[in-house]
Amino acid sequence: MKCLVFSDNGDNAGEIISYFYKKMDIDVICNDSVIDYGADSVYKYSNGFSDNLSEYLLEMYNKNKYDYIIISSTNLGRQIAGIISDKLNEKCMPEIFSFEKNDKIVTKRFFYGGKTVLEEETGFKIFTISPGIFETKKIDKKSNLIEVKLNSSKYKILSEKQKSASGNDITKAKIIVSIGRGLGSKENIEKIMPLVDALHGEIAGSRPVCLDYKWLPEDKQVGLSGKKVKPDLYIALGISGQIQHLAGIRNAKTIIAINKDKNAPIFEECDYGIVGDLFSIVPELVEKLKK
Amino acid sequence: MDIIVLIKQTVDMDQIKLNDSNEAMTENLPLKTDILSKNAIEAAVQLKEKYGGNVTGIIFGTEKATSSMKEAYAMGVDDGYIIKGYEKSDPLITSKVLSDKIKTVKNDLIILGNQSSDSYSGLLQGLLASELNVSLLSNAIKIEINNGNVDVTTESENKDIIMESPLPAIISVAQEINEPRLPNVMKIMAAGKKNINIEDADIKYEDDDKTLSNKAPENKRKKIVYEDNNGIDEIAKILRVVK
Ligand SMILES: Cc1cc2nc3c(=O)[nH]c(=O)nc-3n(C[C@H](O)[C@H](O)[C@H](O)COP(=O)(O)OP(=O)(O)OC[C@H]3O[C@@H](n4cnc5c(N)ncnc54)[C@H](O)[C@@H]3O)c2cc1C
Repeated sequence: MKCLVFSDNGDNAGEIISYFYKKMDIDVICNDSVIDYGADSVYKYSNGFSDNLSEYLLEMYNKNKYDYIIISSTNLGRQIAGIISDKLNEKCMPEIFSFEKNDKIVTKRFFYGGKTVLEEETGFKIFTISPGIFETKKIDKKSNLIEVKLNSSKYKILSEKQKSASGNDITKAKIIVSIGRGLGSKENIEKIMPLVDALHGEIAGSRPVCLDYKWLPEDKQVGLSGKKVKPDLYIALGISGQIQHLAGIRNAKTIIAINKDKNAPIFEECDYGIVGDLFSIVPELVEKLKK
Repeated sequence: MDIIVLIKQTVDMDQIKLNDSNEAMTENLPLKTDILSKNAIEAAVQLKEKYGGNVTGIIFGTEKATSSMKEAYAMGVDDGYIIKGYEKSDPLITSKVLSDKIKTVKNDLIILGNQSSDSYSGLLQGLLASELNVSLLSNAIKIEINNGNVDVTTESENKDIIMESPLPAIISVAQEINEPRLPNVMKIMAAGKKNINIEDADIKYEDDDKTLSNKAPENKRKKIVYEDNNGIDEIAKILRVVK
């Protein structure tokens, strides 16, 4: 059994390789030298676009007869998965976070915007994998690294703006203090920072906080369309707990919620909760932690 | 500029309740236009307003989708097709049916939402681009036409990229691209009277995957919620342990 993995993000490639390592043989196409996770060969490209990368993937697939094509669900990955699915006339199982092979393959993915988990038995050959779900694990043996040159692309980049990488990766954090619209304003972040500091945690937020109001950088967004986090402790401050948010925190060990609305859905999905005003509760907690 | 906008109708997921076995009850749920489809409609109509031309809406779904098409008309879509006969969600089938239709409608640009809010698969854009052999620009937050090319600002994980590509093209849009307009009563009334073309889909479908379960994830949370000040002491104790 062997698979061809594609990712345009080294971390995501590492996650996928670690997850499939020893389940099958793995070759990888990536723009990063991901040689530490147990793949046989890493084909490293540069200047990849949806057209020339799809061509290369198909060429590799046809040449080496892989059983499965596994693509990380990044913006570019999803485009390529669609193109490959059409070219091979093979269906793609999207956004999976579990892949078990017995007689058949059984996969799991979220459905209805994260409300349910679909468990399916499939004969599909192509899969996209939700990023940030699996742990990376380095092994001693290094993969073969092969630099490849792709065909030229019909797309042209006119300009690129790097988004400010804002420090630590929240998918690796052990303690996360996460803020929602209930915080009211960007200035109020100051008022909860003592809690973040006292716990040596990382700050994160709901989608409105990161995307609409930009109180926090985009890479701090937790949820279905943001990061899926797996801390030991997740503290939700002024977050209502909509399904799309919950999809990002299913793997948190302990969830604590503070919300002034006792009917907020987050209280159905937390281990401990306090109904009340976060601006009075947070300082009291910090005070108690100091003692 | 002739533009096709692909519109999806979904069940209102916020209304989904669970039954005793933790399964989603999806019968008789209200339907609505998928949120990113509204951004796609808005983007198409804005391009028409800027560069002139015509916007055609296409929905693949059921007859119930007339409500979504009327909404699209009210927002400024000029004419529309509903291709009915399908209730599942299989991107490969959807792309075959849609591309058959798209080939019969004159177009320079096809616009759709980047990911639909039920499955989040994001596959349709690539399937269609390949099937129709047109350029693909994804997760757009800005679209401009320049001398027969299209310049699109694509939002990817760690950077925003402005890409140039020849037309015809398919563009998937992100939610941040715009704020979909709320049409006034006059427009809604006028939209109600407009003709919608309803056609049957020609689907050859083999079910080759099998759903084993579709349930809400098991909730093992303790759900100890304090409504008084004792809560602060208890939570502080827990925080001290974790810290
Ligand atoms: C396709 C799609 C994808 C999405 N992806 C994501 C995603 O990845 N991540 C995400 O988070 N959302 C996502 N959303 C949005 C999601 O549906 C919700 O809109 C969002 O999570 C709500 O954010 P919130 O909880 O911060 O705000 P709200 O829902 O407005 O909640 C604010 C909460 O703060 C409480 N509050 C207010 N003041 C106080 C106070 N002083 N003290 C204590 N509590 C207070 C209120 O009671 C309320 O419960 C997505 C939506 C769609 C349609």
